[in-house]
Amino acid sequence: MASPLRQVGTGANSQSLEEARKRVFHFFREACRSIPQIMETYNLHEVITTSQLRSVVAAQFRKQAHVTNPKVIDMLIIKGDEELRNCLDHSKQRHHILGQYVIAQGGLIPSNVGAVSSGGSDFLQKFYNSNNF
Amino acid sequence: MASASASSALVRVAAAPSWNKKQVVPRFSGLKAVSLGQQRFAFPSFQSSQCTSGALKVVCAAKPETLSKVCDIVKSQLALSDDKPLTPESKFSDLGADSLDTVEIVMALEEEFKISVEEENAGTITTVQEAADLIERLAVKS
Repeated sequence: MASPLRQVGTGANSQSLEEARKRVFHFFREACRSIPQIMETYNLHEVITTSQLRSVVAAQFRKQAHVTNPKVIDMLIIKGDEELRNCLDHSKQRHHILGQYVIAQGGLIPSNVGAVSSGGSDFLQKFYNSNNF
Repeated sequence: MASASASSALVRVAAAPSWNKKQVVPRFSGLKAVSLGQQRFAFPSFQSSQCTSGALKVVCAAKPETLSKVCDIVKSQLALSDDKPLTPESKFSDLGADSLDTVEIVMALEEEFKISVEEENAGTITTVQEAADLIERLAVKS
């Protein structure tokens, strides 16, 4: 049940960095256009806004911004496309999306996702952050 | 139709300078969009003669609320502080945006104004004013 928007395909064979760049932006636009459908499918309207999700997606792209080999870029796009397809086809579940994209960056901790009360001690929070404190 | 071809010729003539002289002519391109929109209801020959007069006393065709919405989106996207001035002519790259930021801004505008921007159009947007003009043009079409 692929969305009719999907056109990225797997025949990518970029000869130059410029061509790979175009593919990256094309894929980014596809991902952004799929965001409303993902919000609808996984019922994320109370948890995150479209623009926040878009910036999370952009951060994922930015993590790979240092890559210069066009074939590596193609491979990353194929992997990203597979991930996007999984999200769109409802092959994932809501907690996957929440864990990987909504809470992932550390900055987005929406209050109604259900944080466990710490009882006044921040020991656990420090422990989750690192071994040495 | 001769009038339609004449007006399309006008658009082609206007389109060439509008992509070259980015500072001077965005208003000119916006005016073209307004005149085309009115052409449906008025005599085409009268509108075209008005355009060729060159008297651009009309203000920018992009509505001020469109422009302010675009400015807000750019500001929140690039996380600009309030003391930095955001003029319609400021380029995205000057404000610290890389190419991915530009694409993201275009997608945010697509979502906000419910329009669909083609890839080649999106690549040519470099300032706030151009974005507002493109939005106006697409809003007129739809």
